[in-house]
Formats: sequence, structure tokens, C-alpha cells
Amino acid sequence: MATKREFDNEDGYQAKRVKTENGNGKVDAANNPYLAHWNEDSSYQNDFSGSGDLLTKFTRHATTAKQARTAEDGPQNPFTGRGLSDKYMSILKKRRELPVNTQRDEFLDLYQKHQILVFVGETGSGKTTQIPQYVLYDDLPQQNGKMVACTQPRRVAAMSVAQRVAEEMDVELGGQVGYSIRFEDKTSQDTILKYMTDGMLLREAMNDHNLSRYSTIILDEAHERTLATDILMGLLKEVVGRRPDLKLIIMSATLDALKFQKYFNDAPLLAVPGRTHPVEIFYTPAAERDYVEAALRTVLQIHATEDEGDILLFLTGEEEIEDACRKINLEAQDLIREDAAGPLVVYPLYGSLPPAQQQKIFSPAPPPTKPGGRPGRKVIVSTNIAETSLTIDGIVYVVDPGFSKQKVYNPRIRVESLLVSPISKASAQQRAGRAGRTRPGKCFRLYTEKSFKEELIDQSYPEVLRSNLSSTVLELKKLGVDDLVHFDLMDPPAPETLMRALEELNYLACLDDEGELTVLGKLASGFPLDPALAVMLITSPEFYCSNEILSLTALLSVPQVFVRPANNRKRADEMKELFTHPDGDHLTMLNVYHAFKSEQAQENPKQWCHDHFLSFRALQQADNVRLQLKRIMEREELELMSTPFENKKYYENIRRALVAGFFMQVAKREGSGKTYMTVKDDQSVLLHPSTVLAQSDEWVVYNEFVLTTKNYIRTVTAVKPEWLLDIAPNYYDISAFKKGDIKSALQRVSTKVARKDAEKGRR
Amino acid sequence: MPQSDEEDDYMNMVFEDAPKAPKHETSMQRAARKRKEAESRSRQKTKAEREADAIAAREEALATALPEDNKGFKMMAKLGFKQGDSLGKSEDARKEPIKIVVKEDKGGIGLESDKKRKFQETFEEARQAAKRAKEEEGDFLEERKQQQKERSAEKDLDNAQRTAERLFDKEAEEKGTPTAEDIPLQRIDICWRGRVRRRIEKQAEKQQKRELNNSLSSRLPTLAHEDEDDDHDTKTALGHDITPFYTTLENDFGHDDPDLAEFEALSVFERLERTLVFLRDTYKYCLYCGYQYPDAAMDGCPGVTEGDHD
Repeated sequence: MATKREFDNEDGYQAKRVKTENGNGKVDAANNPYLAHWNEDSSYQNDFSGSGDLLTKFTRHATTAKQARTAEDGPQNPFTGRGLSDKYMSILKKRRELPVNTQRDEFLDLYQKHQILVFVGETGSGKTTQIPQYVLYDDLPQQNGKMVACTQPRRVAAMSVAQRVAEEMDVELGGQVGYSIRFEDKTSQDTILKYMTDGMLLREAMNDHNLSRYSTIILDEAHERTLATDILMGLLKEVVGRRPDLKLIIMSATLDALKFQKYFNDAPLLAVPGRTHPVEIFYTPAAERDYVEAALRTVLQIHATEDEGDILLFLTGEEEIEDACRKINLEAQDLIREDAAGPLVVYPLYGSLPPAQQQKIFSPAPPPTKPGGRPGRKVIVSTNIAETSLTIDGIVYVVDPGFSKQKVYNPRIRVESLLVSPISKASAQQRAGRAGRTRPGKCFRLYTEKSFKEELIDQSYPEVLRSNLSSTVLELKKLGVDDLVHFDLMDPPAPETLMRALEELNYLACLDDEGELTVLGKLASGFPLDPALAVMLITSPEFYCSNEILSLTALLSVPQVFVRPANNRKRADEMKELFTHPDGDHLTMLNVYHAFKSEQAQENPKQWCHDHFLSFRALQQADNVRLQLKRIMEREELELMSTPFENKKYYENIRRALVAGFFMQVAKREGSGKTYMTVKDDQSVLLHPSTVLAQSDEWVVYNEFVLTTKNYIRTVTAVKPEWLLDIAPNYYDISAFKKGDIKSALQRVSTKVARKDAEKGRR
Repeated sequence: MPQSDEEDDYMNMVFEDAPKAPKHETSMQRAARKRKEAESRSRQKTKAEREADAIAAREEALATALPEDNKGFKMMAKLGFKQGDSLGKSEDARKEPIKIVVKEDKGGIGLESDKKRKFQETFEEARQAAKRAKEEEGDFLEERKQQQKERSAEKDLDNAQRTAERLFDKEAEEKGTPTAEDIPLQRIDICWRGRVRRRIEKQAEKQQKRELNNSLSSRLPTLAHEDEDDDHDTKTALGHDITPFYTTLENDFGHDDPDLAEFEALSVFERLERTLVFLRDTYKYCLYCGYQYPDAAMDGCPGVTEGDHD
């Protein structure tokens, strides 16, 4: 629940969702950017300025690698007709050296003969940049106004790969080659190759169930098995049946291709070896008592005894990583002082690290302290971002304790949490592979070979098995998938996960009792938000506070705004107190946002944030998300309004609106103690120590259920039980509650309300 | 005088004839009882108890599947879903959610299973031992017989030692020399020294407890009045009459008694025999005849051991 969605911090958002129905119910394709290709008036023919015939001699799906190479050699750009630059030529030379190049004919043969193809290429094979171009020369999408799509699990990858390929093809980014990520569309009428996030393609499918603007769809990095890729695979499996003209390529970096082949009706496989060096693997003789300590020991030992080469250590989270960096630094100082080792620099790497600091990991290792002295070394202590997402050259040693933080969801107690868990064998192999990028390397696994074989699962669980699916179910409904039970996913989740998602959507009034989308559901699916947040936002005008809820929704969609550095906690807490609203964390966050937007703060917002221990990046991002959501609201004609600040109901209205979305995340205090009990799931929880709320509030809504050795609820605000009964009567149907404290408390409230109403009636 | 071990312990506040609850409680009593009960009900659980409860509740909820009256289930049933089915089209799809395991320490991969294996090994060993014991049931009966013999020997030894002390004191009284109470332990014969020592230790322990209570209360400022006027009874009640135990302890138990330790290490049968012989040699006494013979020949006694007296 309440997962944080990634938003873009650029302002390039363009209204994506246009109502497809106007007053008379006809499809208004002219105004729909997705449906531009339906429109006969718009010229989709690319203007080749007379030289387009370079490729017009090509017969679609009957070209050869030789033909394509000749065209690539120029002298004119086959796609634009312009002369080719020197840079193009030098890149072309390198491209021809890539491993995939040797198998271009083989690839074309399979591509032409089959509708679906599974392509396996290890990291460094060049598949992400080359295969889509090979496709262009044979599929010739420009000839019939189609496009080739290539999906990426990550936004950054989509952007950077598109940039690279635009250079390789000697075209402007956003011209023949473009990209599309959430809130940013860098494509034009000329675009024939579009890199995009898998989530973006899924959104497009909502408006165009057949994805009819594409002639070939390439799902890249399919081995990562993101939620969106899994859903897309299920969807495309149906689409290829309806559209014989559509070609589909599944690209994976690992050799578990059999599973993909089987899933796609025994599609043929093409494998290209990567360019990697051998990696020697070492195991520990016995299980480690403390994997962090063992990791630090190993790193220092490598530094003291092994040859030149950088070290990559995998740990699980920010705190652990920062702590490890400090300790390695301290110990290394001793080693250097005793002249037992060369200089050492340590860099942390995790998702929430500011980009500038992330960039530091690419700086070279320090030089020896004196000429001819021991060589310096760089150590990167990273989460599993460095496992696949980022490639750091120069790594020769990998230290792998075998853990990572993984999202888990359990529908029985409705908790989605990040937990430290053992990695899979595939993950361990991937980590080891990082040591062999530049030259033969070594990987130190901090567990026994027996443990590796017997305790690690083969493949990591795909995201679809580890997520709350309420958002996905809403999307699938919008995608026209009616039979959710038999929807053909590669790894279907447990039935209870679907059950819970349907139930949640029903209580949120997004699905009716038959499981059909309601008007509210359709509206909610248009917001790039979790259903609870979307519903809260859509219903907020009823509580006269849509401006505030809009801000709050944005704040809940970005990383933590409060900064609490380990060495300055007291001061940070004092600063937070300035914004504290006694009724809860949501209102406190809202106070922060309002202060941030004040003239005084905007004079120098960066400094202001620094002074007040707030994350400038998060607030800026929130500001941007707010703008994007505001546009959707305006388009949907949802009124933006506020209760006057002087009105004593100002904050109460916001709290009521909160209940309208989060009534399923409510807890009641047990007796007079510190513990709370979650409504319906009856889980005993504590308020997270970061809360501003005093322990005196009986009922609270919470944004997150955090699972650790203790159960915590985080970001909480006090509410009144009357509101629960009033705003969410279906969920708070007292007769359906289990006997107990919560039921009797609700009963008392209900009786009280009834009596008051009766008194009012008499008057 | 020898003291009995079952000396009355006045520190123990058990009233054997405590008043029983009245048959009919008055309204005030009832109110008081109700209040007490309510208090114990609303008693704040300790932190540890609460945490354990929370974890237990979580584990229970995690192990309980969603019921069929779930709204989502009903919607799925309309699409042909039945309890026990899985989703999608592949046959081996999962039916249960992925288990949630909260890692509570920094133990490396394999450590948990190492521990489990070790536990299992210990468990297995214990099981094997129990099995072996069962197989040797024949020997078991034999062993029980032996145990019975030992118990009876121990009883006799105790009797013999008590007799030795009684005879020593009798003699001392007759001669006017100090009794067992008043001579150093080392001068008591090894055969019955252990018994005296144990008694003294027990007394000392009791005294220590009293003094400890006393010193605790005296350390509290409100209670620490060393009133000159206190009469003897008050002093006794407060425990001020006792000389601090450590002085006596220091004198008698300051160092260990290797001779005694050596004697005590012997088997009960051997100790018994040596004590019986000691009684005969020193006091011309036979435990089994229960008679102190007037002459060293001990005419009429069939022998040293109990068996001789059958």
C-alpha cells in the first residue's frame, strides 16, 4: 500500500489522458495524441527530401545484413538523406565490432520468419542499442506510418539509450529516434524508433488496446521482470493473436530464456555471447555470524593483499552503507599509516543519494601517495542498484554478503514492506559478473558453497508476486482485461493477492460488486497514483480542500521531505517542531509545503531547505508532481478549492478528506497504552518514532505499515471515529466486525451519533 | 545442645490459620474485589509481553487465508474461481502468498540453518540416548535396587553421625570439656564433622538473610534510627542483637577443609562403614544393636554391618 511512485522532476509533462468520449459518445481522435495515427489528415509520411529511395528499394521483411550495411555506410543517411558526419563513421566502426554484429544475418532470418523471438545477450553484447536499429532496416516502419518501440524498466536508461542511438544514427534526439517516459515525451512525427519505459507503453495500451501504432515491439531487460513488463507480456501475448502484422522481440540478459520461450508458445531463441572476463569465485568455509562485519574485514583484506583494482561491496540499505563507509575509512587510515596498504577512497551508492554524489562513483581511484608506492584503490558500497542498473568500469573485486532489501507484499495483513532478504542464485551470478567487466576478477561470497546451492532460490521473485496489485488491477480493467482470474501472466500471483486488490477497489468504489469499473474507477485510473491516493484526490472537492489534498498527494508521492542527519538530530528535530501540527504528520507535511512556497523561502529555496533540515530535491519534486496532477484535475474538471484558512474547519476538512482515501488504513489505540490495533486486520502496531502525534489520540489514519522486528505505522494523523462511519459506511459496517474493542467502540460512537441526530430532529 | 534442622523460621510469614474469605461479601468488599479485578485486567503488559503478542498476532494473521466471504473472492467466483485454484493459465502457479520473514540480526546466509541443524543434532542425540536407555531396561531394574541400597545407607550414615555427636556431647558433659558446639570443626572427627559443618552453614545462611534485611532497612534514612532507648525486645525485632555473621564465618569457614572433602568424596557405603567402625572403636557403640557396650569386646554384637544383624 502507499507505495511511492516515481515522478519526473522535469516540467515536460504533456496532458496524456484525453477523454475519448465527447458529448455524443463518438471517439474524438483528432484531439488524442495517442490516436494521431488514426487520423488520415496528419501526414505520417516522413519527408525524405528526395533521398528516401535509399530504403524504398528494400523489401520489407526480406532484407539482408549486407544490404543494410551498405545503406549504413552512406554516404547519405538512409533515414534523413543528409550527409553523414565523421562522428557517425567513427561510431559505426565501433558498432561493427560489437558481438551482436556477427549474428546480424541470423537475427534477421529468425525475425523475418517468426512473429515472436526471444533474444539473449549478456551485458556488453550491444543488444539494447543495435537490435532496434537492425529492426529498423528490415521493418521499415516509416513506409506504413508505424513505429518500433523498445521498452526499458528504468527512466534513466530509456533517456540515455535513446540519446546514444540518436548519435549512432546521426539524427537529432526527438527526431527519428525519441523517448517517452512518464511526464516527458521526446518524440515527433518523424519518430520511427521510440525508447520508453515499460510503464509508459502500458499506459498507451490503455487508450489503444491493440497498440496499433507499432509494427514491432521490443521488450528489453525482460529478465528484470518488473511489474509493468510482466503485465505487458501478458497483454502482448493476446495482442499478437489479434494482430498478425505485429512482431515481438523479448530481450533478456540472462540465460533463463527457456521460460520466456515456453511462455511465448515456443518462440525461437537467439543467443549472443557477451564481452566479459572470467571471474573466480570464493566462498567462506563457514556461515558468518555478522555479514556486515565479515564484509568490512574482506574489503580491508583485499585492499591489503590483492593486486590493483576497485572493489564493489553489496549491502542492503542507506544506513548500513553509510555506517560501513565510515568504518572502512577509519580502518583504512590505520592501514595506510602503517604503510600496509595504498590510499583508499570509499563511496556510498544508493537510490536516495543526490545525483551529484552518485556521480562521484565514476571518479578514478586515487594515485599512490608517493611515486612507485602502493597503488590506490576505490571502494563502492552499494545497494543492488549496482547489480544491474549501473555499470561501473574498473571493478575487479566484488564482495557479496548475499542480502538485499526486497519489497514484499502480503495480502493477509495488507502490508507492503522492504525487508532484508537473501538474494537468488541469478542475482549472485549477476553480482559476480560485475567483477569481470574490465579484466578477470574475483568475487568473494560471504557464505558457503553449500549455502549457495541449498539456500538461495534460483530466480528472484518477479515484482508481480511481491506487490499490492490494486493499481495493476485498475490498469488491467482499463486495458479491457475482464477475466482477471485467467489472465495469462508468466508467474501468476497468489489468488489472495487478487482477492485483496479487488476488495480494496470495491471499497474505494472504483469497482462495483460485479467487478466492473465505475465512473470513479475510470477517473482514478487516469491518475498515475495508487487508487487510495487517486480516490482521495478526486473526492477532495467534496471536502472543500482539493488544493491542500493536491499538495498532500504530491508530498506523499516523493521521498521523505524531512532530513535528519545522524550528527545533528537534535537541531533537525527542533526545526521540524516549527512546522508541527499537533493533529498529525500529514498536516505537518502540508505546513512544510506551504512554508516552502512562501515568498520568504522562495527567495533562496535551497538555502531555506538546508537551514530547516528539509530535502530541497524532494520538495522540488513534490512541486513538480503537484503541477502535473493539477493538469489532470483541470482536464477532468475537478474543482480546485480551499476552505478559508481562518475557518476553524480548515484542518478538519483536510483530515476528513484523508479519511475518504485511507479509511482502510486506520488504527485504534489499545486501552491507554502505546500500542494501536489496525482496524479489521487486528495487528498490534506502534506509532513510528518520527511522528509528531502525541500518544493521546484514539483513532489515526496511517500512510504506511512498516514491518521490522516491531510493527510500526508511519505518517499518521488523528481522525474522529464519527467520520469513519460517515465517510466509509460500507467498510465500517459494524455488523461485519469481529467482536472486540474496535467493534464496541464503533457501536458506542454509532449510538451517540444516532442520539444526537434524534435530538436535532426534535428541535 | 544439638539443634533440630527443622528449627522454627520466624522470618517466614505464612499464617496457617489465616482467616478464610467470608461466605457472603459485603457491598464494600464486593466493590473492592471488582476494582481489584478490573485493575488486573487493565494492567499494562510489559514491553516484552506486548512485543511477543504483536509478533504472535502477526504470525497468526499471516498463516490465515482470506475467507470466502471476502468481496474479492465473490467477484473472482463469478469468473469461475474456486477455493484451491491458482490464477492464470500455467499449472504450477503459486497458491499461497510469498512468506514474510523478518530478519532480526546480521547473521550471514546459512547461519540460521546451521543453528537449526545443530539443534536437530542435539535433539537427535537426546533421542538416541533415550532409545538406548530403553534397550537397557534390564539394567535399569538392577540400578534401582542399587539406588535403594544407597538411600538406606545414607539414612544409616545420618543416624550414625547423629549418634556420634550425641555420644561426644554426653562424654564432654561428663568430663566438663566443651561440647561439639563450642570446639573448632577441625577437632571433630572426620566421620561426623560434615554433619556439624552443614548445620552451622545453614544457621549462618539464615542469619545472613536476617542481617541483610536488617541492613537494608537501616540504610533507608527514615528507618535508620539507632535509638539508645531501644529495649532488648525492639533490638531483637530489628535484628540488632545479632553479631554480624561474617565474623563467625571468617573464623570457621575461612579456608576449605581438604580432609573433609576427601572423606565426603567416598561412596556412601564406605563412609557408613568407617563411621560404624569409629562408633565401635571410640564409644563401643553398635548402631544396629542400638546399644553402648560396656567393654571393648562388645560381646553379643554379631558384627559391624547391618547384614550381620539379620
